[in-house]
Amino acid sequence: MELVDKIIKGERAAIAKAITLVESSKDTDQQISRQLISELIKKPGKSIRVGFSGPPGVGKSTFIESFGSYLVSQNYKLGILAIDPSSQITGGSILGDKTRMVEISKNPNTFIRSTPSRGTLGGISMGTREASIILDAAGYNFIFIETVGVGQSEIVASNLVDIFTLIVGPGSGDELQGIKKGITEYADIFIVNKNDGELKMEASKTAADYKSALSYYKKLDALEKQVLLVSAIEQTGMEDVIKTINQIIDQNKLKGIFDERRADQLEYWIEEEVKNIIASDITKRLASKGNIPKYSKKVMKNEMSMYEAVETITKDTLKQ
Amino acid sequence: MTNNSNNGFNNWQKSFEKETKKNLSDANSETDEGIDIKPVYTKEDLENFSFVEKHSLPGQWPYTRGPKASMYTNRPWTIRQYAGFSTAEESNEFYKKNLESGQKGLSVAFDLPTHRGYDSDDDLVMGDVGKAGVAIDTVEDMKILFNNIPLDQMSVSMTMNGAVLPVLASFIVAGEEQGVDRSLLSGTIQNDILKEFMVRNTYIYPPEPSMKIVADIIEFTSKEMPKFNSISISGYHMQEAGADNVLELAYTLADGIEYVRAAMSKGLDVDDFAPRLSFFFAIGTDFFMEIAKLRAARTLWAKIMKDFGAKNERSLILRTHCQTSGVSLTEKDPYNNIIRTSYEALSAILGGTQSLHTNSFDEAIALPTDESARIARNTQLILQNETGVTKTVDPLAGSYFIENLTEELSKKAWDIITEIEELGGMTKAVKAGIPKLKIEESATKKQAKVDSGSRVVVGVNKYKNPKEPSVDVRVIDNNRVRDDQIKKIHAIKQSRNTKAVEKALTNLTNAAKDETNLLIPCIEAIKLRATVGEVSKALEQVYGRHFAKSLSVSGVYGKHFEGDKEFMKVESKIKEFENLNGRRPRVLVVKMGQDGHDRGAKIVATSFADMGFDVDMGPLFQSPKDVAKDAIENDVHAIGVSTLAAGHKTLVPELMKGLKEIDPKSKIIVFVGGIIPEQDYEFLYENNVSAIFGPGSNIIESAEKVIDLISDNLSKE
Repeated sequence: MELVDKIIKGERAAIAKAITLVESSKDTDQQISRQLISELIKKPGKSIRVGFSGPPGVGKSTFIESFGSYLVSQNYKLGILAIDPSSQITGGSILGDKTRMVEISKNPNTFIRSTPSRGTLGGISMGTREASIILDAAGYNFIFIETVGVGQSEIVASNLVDIFTLIVGPGSGDELQGIKKGITEYADIFIVNKNDGELKMEASKTAADYKSALSYYKKLDALEKQVLLVSAIEQTGMEDVIKTINQIIDQNKLKGIFDERRADQLEYWIEEEVKNIIASDITKRLASKGNIPKYSKKVMKNEMSMYEAVETITKDTLKQ
Repeated sequence: MTNNSNNGFNNWQKSFEKETKKNLSDANSETDEGIDIKPVYTKEDLENFSFVEKHSLPGQWPYTRGPKASMYTNRPWTIRQYAGFSTAEESNEFYKKNLESGQKGLSVAFDLPTHRGYDSDDDLVMGDVGKAGVAIDTVEDMKILFNNIPLDQMSVSMTMNGAVLPVLASFIVAGEEQGVDRSLLSGTIQNDILKEFMVRNTYIYPPEPSMKIVADIIEFTSKEMPKFNSISISGYHMQEAGADNVLELAYTLADGIEYVRAAMSKGLDVDDFAPRLSFFFAIGTDFFMEIAKLRAARTLWAKIMKDFGAKNERSLILRTHCQTSGVSLTEKDPYNNIIRTSYEALSAILGGTQSLHTNSFDEAIALPTDESARIARNTQLILQNETGVTKTVDPLAGSYFIENLTEELSKKAWDIITEIEELGGMTKAVKAGIPKLKIEESATKKQAKVDSGSRVVVGVNKYKNPKEPSVDVRVIDNNRVRDDQIKKIHAIKQSRNTKAVEKALTNLTNAAKDETNLLIPCIEAIKLRATVGEVSKALEQVYGRHFAKSLSVSGVYGKHFEGDKEFMKVESKIKEFENLNGRRPRVLVVKMGQDGHDRGAKIVATSFADMGFDVDMGPLFQSPKDVAKDAIENDVHAIGVSTLAAGHKTLVPELMKGLKEIDPKSKIIVFVGGIIPEQDYEFLYENNVSAIFGPGSNIIESAEKVIDLISDNLSKE
């Protein structure tokens, strides 16, 4: 495939077109993209995939601007996939991530792609995974996947990356109780941003709160979860972040956790995809048979119970 | 109400309802500000006032009726036309001509590179030099600008906020080298940085150091320049960006409060500087509302300053400059703009402004020509000399309607001011982006009203002119101006004492690290012929450059069009497109160069998104090369360039080049919107621009054209 060669050469337009293909909902595009990905995975790069998530307003994009600037100044090539949360239920979306990534978006060693979340869970779809494969083949050293923290989505996002990072703001320590257990389990690094100006004290206190709370989640064979203090605005703490990322990756590789994790993730995505295909098939069948409105009317008229309706429809849909 | 007057009202109501076939309760109309306007006002509407005092007099507390007892009966308002373009030499000629024709004060417009603290030879500002104002690089330019204009006699207003330090320093040094002591200089420097963060975006440094600079200037002028207004607290640009009158009024006064606080934090007594604070409001087409706004502004400011403990009466008085609304001007049927501007001018006068700029009718298209500037000036000369409006002070006082409206506006604005105070003041609110978002919401609503036809704009969405007149415009040869400026900079850099300049700049950087007043070392550097860019960079080393976070509203535009046929037509075209292409049409909306007016870009972004486009927003101040990278990486179908400062002839071809450099086969189409003289259309089309949308373009129609262009373009593949 011509496109494959161009991607491996790192041609910007080719990478962009390929990502469009893997995000496309058009059947023919999906066929091409499947072919493309099976070619590309034969020529894997060496990139490390890092996930960044966190609640709105903690300065995720500003952090990525700051951390990314540091990485490119160290001659790393950086790809960023930003899942933009500002989607609406109807209509399109406004993708404003790049307004907060002014400096790195200019740099020739970056590739930044925003994706509208289209109402899916935190915007993560098969497309995001494939896009990271494309950037990997194109020779980017780090691939950042930025998502907004809306509960469940972090777990999906963490299944896409080698390291998962949660960015939080000063004063969020109190909410720690409320954070779902899942997230704290999936995250490898906690970054407390806004360690600057008036908020410095508060940020240190928050970091301490996280450290003590996280000591309960220690896994036997993994590294202790790391809590780091940074200021995206003042660009401080960035060396610590990259040092910690490299440390965790090295350790995980040494212990075999790195590959194990990628294998687990693969299982997860296969399962997801199979479920998706079955679900979309079932949805089509349901719609074509028109059972739901039919039985719903019966339930409304008290001719049968809802449970009976569900059972009948399920049996009818699955038989074929 | 006595029985008699009650009967009178009941009879009137009956007649009204008979004539209109409507219940009186259904006959109100709602303004943009959310104020219900009734068909008739009576004595009863003067009751329960908490701000307006019914029997006050002009020049007396609470100054609703005007800052002076005699107002225009003694001396009419100052005709102060804002102008500046190209080089200092050309602007100087233009000023002198205007002064000979009856203009009384000067008002200098600087070009965008000067605003943003860049010299004309900086690569970043290629397309902007001398375009929307005059280019000032060193004090030599400033001296040329005022050549043969004695600065001890002429009051000079300067619209400068970002690079306020080097520009004010240049003005002071230019005066001194003319032989005029700084204590004799009169005029105003805008120095209002908060509104830059909200709407105009010509800031340089982050909010906190910017506020320190504002305070430095207030401190310096209060001590050394007693005839100079240290700040012009401006609502103008808020209304231009789409704010309704309540938002404009409230945010302007809230900004004022913040500046008073900043100055007091320098240890100044409120009465030391408050008499030299001045204001600047926009006057739009809502005739009575604008009058009420100026009256309300004075009323509220007096109260605010009293709360600050001001004892000097002059501290309590709000003095203001006004300008007719630029955003109310239309590109279509442009002579209508003369009429709009006339009514707006009358509003400003009936509201009691101290000075006024009337816009030229061609300003929706380009910079004014000598002829259009003459008509604009004459609008005011006719008001002063022929209409008799100067003969009675505050002639609308006592009008049930005007007094009630003044009170209503005051109340609504006061609520917002209180809200801002609860947030911890305007600097904090601005940092959180709240005022910006509210203004954008208001702007989007207004645009939707025009596009849906529920608000009539004559010649645009109704009563269109079948034979559009063609209008001559002023053309600035941007490359020539830039070359001239670069030559001048080089000559000065050759002849000055470089060591001394470097030392002065180091002193300035050090002063920024301390808490000392920055204007003093700035004057030293400028005297030695340091450039505006060098001074700005010396401070940037300590403060950094500010980049704004961009928040967007959504759903506001679309809400106005529920069930609208045209809107639904575009929506369904987009759905069709998505089904066919596997994704929505994707458009990158950008501003390029130093032009920070982003109202248009924001409205296009939010309304296009409401119709179903995926819209990428680029950051402000992007170079064409950055835009090309951004567009290609996100594989957009089209780029929409918003241009209001005449940079398009340089920047658009650069963008086209940038796209081809990254992807020789790029199929991305480019459309341009904003202020573009018709004379430039051909040039842009020759450079492969696919569509051009001037001011007043209907957004739904524009969106339909864009989706059609994208579809056509794809089907060619």
